[in-house]
Amino acid sequence: MTETSLAFQAPTRFGAYGGAFAPETLMAALFELERAWLEARADDGFRAELAGLLRDFAGRATPLFHARRLSDELGCEVWLKREDLLHTGAHKLNNTLGQALLAQRMGKHRILAETGAGQHGVATAAACALLGLECRVYMGAVDAARQAPNLQRMRLLGAEIALVEHGQATLKDAINEAMRDWVGEPDTTHYLLGSALGPHPFPSIVADFQRVIGEEAREQILAQAGGLPDVAAACVGGGSNAIGLFRGFVDDEEVELVGVEAGGEDVENDRHAARFASGEPGVLHGSLTYLLQDADGQVLPTHSVSAGLDYPAVGPEHAALRDAGRARYTYAKDSEALEGFQLLARLEGILPALESSHAVGWLSSEREALAKKRVLINLSGRGDKDLETVERVLGGEA
Amino acid sequence: MSDNRLETVLGELDACAIAPYVTAGDGGLDRTLAVLEALERAGAACCELGVPFSDPIADGPVLQAAAQRSLEAGTTFEGVLEVVRRFRAGGGTMPICAFSYANPILRRGWSGAARALADAGADGVLVPDLPVEEGEPLRTAALEAGLAPIFFVTPTTSDARVRRAAEASRGFLYVIGRTGITGARTELSQEADDFLAHVRGLSPVPLGVGFGIGSAEQVAAVARHARLAIVGTALVQHLHEAAMGAPDPDAAAAGAALTFVRALLEGTRVG
Repeated sequence: MTETSLAFQAPTRFGAYGGAFAPETLMAALFELERAWLEARADDGFRAELAGLLRDFAGRATPLFHARRLSDELGCEVWLKREDLLHTGAHKLNNTLGQALLAQRMGKHRILAETGAGQHGVATAAACALLGLECRVYMGAVDAARQAPNLQRMRLLGAEIALVEHGQATLKDAINEAMRDWVGEPDTTHYLLGSALGPHPFPSIVADFQRVIGEEAREQILAQAGGLPDVAAACVGGGSNAIGLFRGFVDDEEVELVGVEAGGEDVENDRHAARFASGEPGVLHGSLTYLLQDADGQVLPTHSVSAGLDYPAVGPEHAALRDAGRARYTYAKDSEALEGFQLLARLEGILPALESSHAVGWLSSEREALAKKRVLINLSGRGDKDLETVERVLGGEA
Repeated sequence: MSDNRLETVLGELDACAIAPYVTAGDGGLDRTLAVLEALERAGAACCELGVPFSDPIADGPVLQAAAQRSLEAGTTFEGVLEVVRRFRAGGGTMPICAFSYANPILRRGWSGAARALADAGADGVLVPDLPVEEGEPLRTAALEAGLAPIFFVTPTTSDARVRRAAEASRGFLYVIGRTGITGARTELSQEADDFLAHVRGLSPVPLGVGFGIGSAEQVAAVARHARLAIVGTALVQHLHEAAMGAPDPDAAAAGAALTFVRALLEGTRVG
């Protein structure tokens, strides 16, 4: 028995939210992970290695783009942080490179990941190929069917795909399976969680590796636009791209932070994933946060046209930002996300991920309230994976 | 916490006993009641009554499927309370520990849930996704309600945390093994035996050991260090299979529970 890890060193909560509601079997691995992360982030060598990979392998810094035609259309000043241009097509690689290096540092050769839209799975598979780590990705069968191109990418990058058939066969069920796998082999395996959720220290680690988005964007918008944005907005599933953006602006009180959840078909009919609209605090996957649940504490099914936002809980830091009044959370319905997709495609020549399209759809729906304002949107991913879904929903008219 | 049936029963044991786990509402709550009564007749020392949850991350496929069947049959937290009440109303004296993931309990509030469980006639509470770091609110609420809080340790739990979990627990400390008994071996691995002996030395409360136990030989193997041999997956699967296709599935499950636990008790005599 080891005495190396007795307790967490960093705060485990964001306000009232977060914590480590994890099976005892995982606690030693969580202590070890926290310690490795705290040591690594204070280690110049680690930081330099990660920065080098982010620059030379991933393609950072990503550009900040002034979307002029979209701005003219909407009557506000729209800036896009182009995480869709990051290698593997989304912001996910920022976190997977960081955590894969942490896994190496801990001497763990086997990596587990969950994936919804497939972007985190692809980014994990790429990081594992790069660093010579074994990779197993859990994916709900429903998500695999709607994100087929990413399934192929993961396999070609050498990852083993484990399809999850039970439950709703989406992201939540993929996380359940990945956690069960980890419970069985925590000594040799690192669970590379892809969003800012799960037990401590995951929400803090993921936010730490994603804050590069907000820090870059802040410098860029000051240089390119000559000032801070009035609004910084991002889509929120688990919330990793949003927290990455918000971390850059949270101390700038004049910048309004807006998180856009998946309104699905309609928030009134329960076919959605808008946790802040109708969820209440509860515990799922190790974290106390806003959760879509029934009166008995059972987790409710969710719906979104985008696999990456189709999840019943939200990262705990977002719950704290919301309660503190520092960030505002709203939602865009499937139809509004599709409108956002089409706007960017036709006006700016960009095919965004359906997840990111929610932020653009929200912007379009609030154009009057946002008139003349400078709005920064985190364009978290690109839409190649979604072409089939978009064509199907739009009846081939896209 | 004043007099507690679980503590009393465990205090009177002079050898290892059997603690079965069953998922409440698997096959309906009438079947659960019949099974609880059969477990008492069979001589089980206490029972862990599983509250079904939609996302049981610490359970294997058998217990996941049982929870799913139970939820599909309409089991609610109130239904679980009701089956405990009916068991007590029928004269049942076997201690019952509610085994629930955190969220169904938190949904009622730690105190509200603990009081409701105690009022229904439960004696202890175990929450697999509540490590000691998060467990204080429930522990306090349970003690106030007269329920025994029970925490978990594993082979990766540090000595300091074993002590903390043991001191926070009443009745027994739940020891989970990952690499203990496999197959039908009658001996614990030396490593697992050493681990149990070590935990026993650190814990002021007796040990309940869940090592994937399903046979009398396996019970015998843990009996040297454990006060309770916890039998979950093997029993749940056995009851499900016994009920399937039987003309009276509730009676079939109850009969299977009786013979299964009696057979396991042979292991406690060997030990």
